[in-house]
Amino acid sequence: MTKSPPTPALPAARPAAPRSAVGVRRFLRQHGTALTLLAPFLLLFAVFTLWPVLRSLYLSFTDYDAISDPKVVGLQNYQTLLGDPRFRKALANTAVYMLGTSLCSTVLGLMLALVFGGQRLFDQIMRACFFLPSVAGGVGLISVFKWLFSSEDFGLINSIRLWLHLDAVRFLGMPKYAVPVLIVLAVWGLMGYNMIMFVAGLRSIPHDIYEAAAIDGATPAQRFWRITLPLLRPVLLFVLVTSMIGAFQEFFSFYFLFSDTSNVGGILDSGLSLVVYLYDLGFRHLQMGMASALAWILFIMLFLLTALNLKLGRINDID
Amino acid sequence: MVGERPHPLLLWLLRLPFLALAVSVMIPYYWMATNAFKTIPEIIRNPPTWWIHTFTLDNFFNPDTVPGAARRSDEFQGVFQIFANTGFAQFYVNSVVITALTVTISLLLASLVAYVLVKHPFPGSQALFLVLLGSMMIPWEVTIIPNFLTVRDLGWINSYQALLFPGLAKAFAVFFFRQAILAIPDDLVDAARIDGAGELRIWWSIVLPMLRPALAAIAIPVMLGEWNNYLWPLLVINDDAHQTLPLALGKLAGNLTYDPRGAGPMMAASLLVSLPMVIIFLLFQRQFVQGLAAGATKG
Repeated sequence: MTKSPPTPALPAARPAAPRSAVGVRRFLRQHGTALTLLAPFLLLFAVFTLWPVLRSLYLSFTDYDAISDPKVVGLQNYQTLLGDPRFRKALANTAVYMLGTSLCSTVLGLMLALVFGGQRLFDQIMRACFFLPSVAGGVGLISVFKWLFSSEDFGLINSIRLWLHLDAVRFLGMPKYAVPVLIVLAVWGLMGYNMIMFVAGLRSIPHDIYEAAAIDGATPAQRFWRITLPLLRPVLLFVLVTSMIGAFQEFFSFYFLFSDTSNVGGILDSGLSLVVYLYDLGFRHLQMGMASALAWILFIMLFLLTALNLKLGRINDID
Repeated sequence: MVGERPHPLLLWLLRLPFLALAVSVMIPYYWMATNAFKTIPEIIRNPPTWWIHTFTLDNFFNPDTVPGAARRSDEFQGVFQIFANTGFAQFYVNSVVITALTVTISLLLASLVAYVLVKHPFPGSQALFLVLLGSMMIPWEVTIIPNFLTVRDLGWINSYQALLFPGLAKAFAVFFFRQAILAIPDDLVDAARIDGAGELRIWWSIVLPMLRPALAAIAIPVMLGEWNNYLWPLLVINDDAHQTLPLALGKLAGNLTYDPRGAGPMMAASLLVSLPMVIIFLLFQRQFVQGLAAGATKG
């Protein structure tokens, strides 16, 4: 059997109406097996990805409580959300969280890669330490963080503060500390992962560039700013943007630290993120239409972030 | 890596803050691992103790509490007693089984699709690939409400199907495997076809073995995502029998946050949830590092 390029099959797929039955039969004979093999995946993909995307877009233009039929209300959900103080609060929290998390974890990740990027056993052990939270962090460790930041006098951080004769701080009970605490937690989990990306990026920079620069008498600082950083720009952008996208979609830490059975988002919604608000709207208040609109606003924002990344990446290619 | 190095002493001085950072990164693990085996009075002691004075397993199972009897205020139950109706071990089984099934099935399906798309193109396969690629742009939050409605209408609330099925068709895995399969020569596949091997056979005995590094790379982010999945189980599971470990942990935290006696069982539960991943990480460090770096390209 010869290799089957896609072109010869095309005439069979495009015949006029009377011959279409023959075409379909030939198509099935040639590609029936292939389609059968694809069927399980395609069925799951259609039911749990494709159809939900279309349905969610439709629901975002309706008023729907998950029980009675959805009522089409046009753009009203989007308008309501944009004027909704809770949405704005969630957006502001998420934006600050995203900027804080992505900037800190990127800068720390790069510094760690520069310091512990070597091949020695010591460097490898240090990298494993920093990388561990991205593997075994998150859900399992978050209750530990809840106790670290606890305002009771056995919370670790407050114990240390009391030991240093500083006053205890109610980290989880004061609105101004909510987002900073979440950023600390996220940076703890993310910097090791970013470090690994930067280590890979640093290794791809050819060594002779540094040697040439050293011969020309460049100082280490000059070499960092003139060689390392520009050559690292694609990795830098990638790390920054993936950190931003991840932070934008964060649900778990916000929910776990600042929600209980009666309240979502903590005091004055200081721990409310966009996805937590989506959960609150959709599954606690059964405003599925509004929640869908929120999901699509989230999509637009993430799309813009990605587009920005691609655009910046392209500028980089021209260099 | 950067030319000549400064004086070793200066280098260590510069490293010092980063060593301090490394210590603070490890503190939560140390805290968790030691406190799970401390007595309650010791956990809540101020200043905190840095080693275990009185070793105890009560946080896991406290033999002093009588099942069914009214609890005295100074008594507390271990993690394995708090969920007496189902048993904490049940959540372990649920989490392990759901994670294992999701990883296995989603990888097999995705590699099969990638194989067919690359080695058996048909009219429309290009369009199909573009649809899969496009779907990666859509954040999962967009699909969560319709998927909840679908699962509810199917009568799948509180079932393993609800945990398993929505996560099986992973477009980013197809994309990832496609790159790997493009590197497999067509001649190899054609030779097998001439020998009379069917597509399924070629995929299973030729392509899959060659995909092993790619399979390992994508298995790791899928496994971590599933093990730590919280929001989706939170929506579709509200009985005890089908809970996963993260949900059980969430429930514990909800019940015990304001009760100092909850600190011990909480730490024990956290340890039980994160220990498997710590162990797997220590065993497969290299694969984890490569796998997460590769999985990052899903964007």
